[in-house]
Amino acid sequence: MNTLVKPVQRLTATTGIGWIELAWAARSYRPLVDHFAVYGSPDAAFQPGPETLLGKTVYGRFRHAELGPTGRTWHYRVATVDAAGDRSRPSALLRATSAESVTVRGRPVAVIGSFDSKSLELALAPAGYQQYSSRFPDGADYVVGASSPSADWPYLHPGPADRWAGSKAHTFRLRFRLEGVPARDLVLAVWLIDTHASIPGSLAVSCNGSAVADVELEKGATKGSLQGDATLPGNPLRPSIVELLIPVSALRVGDNVLTLGKHAGSWHAYDALGVFEPAD
Amino acid sequence: MIVGKAGAMSDDDRAGLDRRSFLGLTGVSAAALVLGTGTSASAAPGGEGRVPGDPFGLGVASGDPEPDGVVLWTRLAPEPLAGDGHGGMPLRPVTVEYEVAEDERFRRVVRRGRALASAELAHSVHPEVRGLRPGREYFYRFRAGGYLSPAGRTRTAPAPHQRGGTLSLALASCQAWYHGHFTAYRHLAADDPDLVFFLGDYIYEYAINAGNLWRQGVSVGPVHDAETQTLEQYRLRYALFKSDPHLRAAHARAPWIVTWDDHEVQNNYADAHSQYGISPEDFERRRAVAYRAYYENLPLRRTSLPSGPDMRLYRRTPWGTLADFHVLDTRQYRDNVPSDTTAGGEHTDPRRSILGEAQEGWLLDGLRRSRATWNVLAQQVVMAQIDRDTGPGRTFSMDQWDGFTASRDRVLGAVQREGVDNLVVFTGDIHRHVAAELKADFADPSSRTIGTELVTGSIGSDGDGAPTDGYTGLWLSNPHVRFYDGRRGYVHCRLDATRLTSEFKVVDYIERDDAAAVSTVARFVTEAGNPGLREA
Repeated sequence: MNTLVKPVQRLTATTGIGWIELAWAARSYRPLVDHFAVYGSPDAAFQPGPETLLGKTVYGRFRHAELGPTGRTWHYRVATVDAAGDRSRPSALLRATSAESVTVRGRPVAVIGSFDSKSLELALAPAGYQQYSSRFPDGADYVVGASSPSADWPYLHPGPADRWAGSKAHTFRLRFRLEGVPARDLVLAVWLIDTHASIPGSLAVSCNGSAVADVELEKGATKGSLQGDATLPGNPLRPSIVELLIPVSALRVGDNVLTLGKHAGSWHAYDALGVFEPAD
Repeated sequence: MIVGKAGAMSDDDRAGLDRRSFLGLTGVSAAALVLGTGTSASAAPGGEGRVPGDPFGLGVASGDPEPDGVVLWTRLAPEPLAGDGHGGMPLRPVTVEYEVAEDERFRRVVRRGRALASAELAHSVHPEVRGLRPGREYFYRFRAGGYLSPAGRTRTAPAPHQRGGTLSLALASCQAWYHGHFTAYRHLAADDPDLVFFLGDYIYEYAINAGNLWRQGVSVGPVHDAETQTLEQYRLRYALFKSDPHLRAAHARAPWIVTWDDHEVQNNYADAHSQYGISPEDFERRRAVAYRAYYENLPLRRTSLPSGPDMRLYRRTPWGTLADFHVLDTRQYRDNVPSDTTAGGEHTDPRRSILGEAQEGWLLDGLRRSRATWNVLAQQVVMAQIDRDTGPGRTFSMDQWDGFTASRDRVLGAVQREGVDNLVVFTGDIHRHVAAELKADFADPSSRTIGTELVTGSIGSDGDGAPTDGYTGLWLSNPHVRFYDGRRGYVHCRLDATRLTSEFKVVDYIERDDAAAVSTVARFVTEAGNPGLREA
């Protein structure tokens, strides 16, 4: 430990489903910072060391990812390591909790696939994307109660950047019935096992013709077109989760249709998706 | 860091000492000690001498020759692939001794001195030797902790007004270690060049794993299966690439003049702009460690010592009256990739620059003042206009000079305006051998040829390669492109007051082993006063 090497300041966290992102302020150049070492544990009394090292970064932020759908509380300290190999004392402790997925305690209304970090139960999975254009020339049209994931919902949703799928926008539809008007907004959960690494594009969601959201997808690893199991040790996939509100005003009693449009970027690979009524 | 007075002698200038006294330098005063930066260290504390093992596994090098001296380089690393990037060295400073001799056996030592290798610079040293005679060969070596380095050969530039003479030089670039063996360097060293230009992509930042490890007979651990981002990762990456014995031998054979391209930091970056969604503030942090590792691992003078995310790499090396070598940096100051990439669109904006205002002014000033026979730009990306659409449309790379047409127009305009008769451009980047003529108007094949561009193929990047490939038609459809070959190799040039002879050298394979023979696949002559390429 070297007192000339300063620990980071103003350590803060933002959170999402399955991730906690840390950010801090630091002087990087005098002395030159080799990296910031990020340590963490569910235990507030943890000691920074090789067993609690989560990662190293030269940036002023670090994403602790793949925390799972359940809200998880972690504690963090960050140490600065300079070009000479000298280390600062660890920063002050920061506590943060990731957001919980609606799939944990919500009531499923319409679900395709299993939220298990695998695409394997979906059509064409895990690597049959070259049959997509012949099997799904107009995208997917899935009717809850009549369709099946293995036949009617392809694991890969292409975008206009995908020449193999015609270099065009692709729209998938999810049809489901509501026997009554829900008491409050529902939640659409879209779990992905992977996206394209540089041009993941965005997902435009509408409900019964009303635009709901246009969500920029996170960059993945461009491996989910060929591999379908993100639970295997050492797998290269980079899963991400999108969950967004479907307002009551956009829903109706009887038949509803959710459309998922990919108007920009390249493909994303599904784990599962579904509409849920959130728990109280 | 304690530094002494700028401009002070960086080595002791006693001459004629024998090898025994080389071993007995412990009595030299602190004033003779030199920091790893090459800065005089009159007030610097001395380092200890012990090292854990032979520290010279990364080799020795020299560079940036001047008429009275060169910069020497080594980096102590008894365990080059140690995961923390410090090469197995303790974090304390260590004294490194060096000596320069007129003969290979070091019987006529003419300069010797000390440098302080510190952990801050990964125990690299860059002593700048002065007081040498112009235009001649020297030999050098280092000693640390009782270990003697391999000897290197170097050369000083001719005296400023010296006329005549012949210069033998080699061009190299793009050495993706994981794609194959550096066989080309084995042949390059055997050619015995006076000078080597390295034109960018000395390392690559990509994760190395089964997907891209085409070099057979080696394995790499999981620590290399990550994109380089921290200083320890960049340091480790240089150590991995320098594990190739032919690269080390080429460094030891001749002084190098180096410049970088993008992969020393990240693919296709532009100034503080990553093309992978990293904020400029964070990307500058990454650039700072990447530039630091670059300095630590190459024979560069203290004028190139980085300051935070900035590093002055553009510089000029005069070679008597024969040539002025203008070494360019087209990465650090360039404008970002245009959002509109249509041909004739934003990339032609007159405000855009690939050099930045200061460097562009420096270059134009240097071209205007030059009295040398040849003016050579040693740089990274293709300067000639290359229309990448083989049909009726037009498409241009936004990463090359085509993405900055106003910059190119200003440079080539100055060449014509100032009467620079013999412009030669040395280029790397594309992993293919290309010879092209620079035109007064690229849209008019019959317009005047105003310069010559020699693009050296890669040493390693893209594996074995083949004489023709999917890009052959694209390049040769541009009428001013005279030659294309898709194999790995280097370019050897002979330069005198009347002509430049360029030979494009290739090896047929690099993935299996380092045994491939070399062949000359094309030879061109460029006559002084008559720019362009004539097959010879």
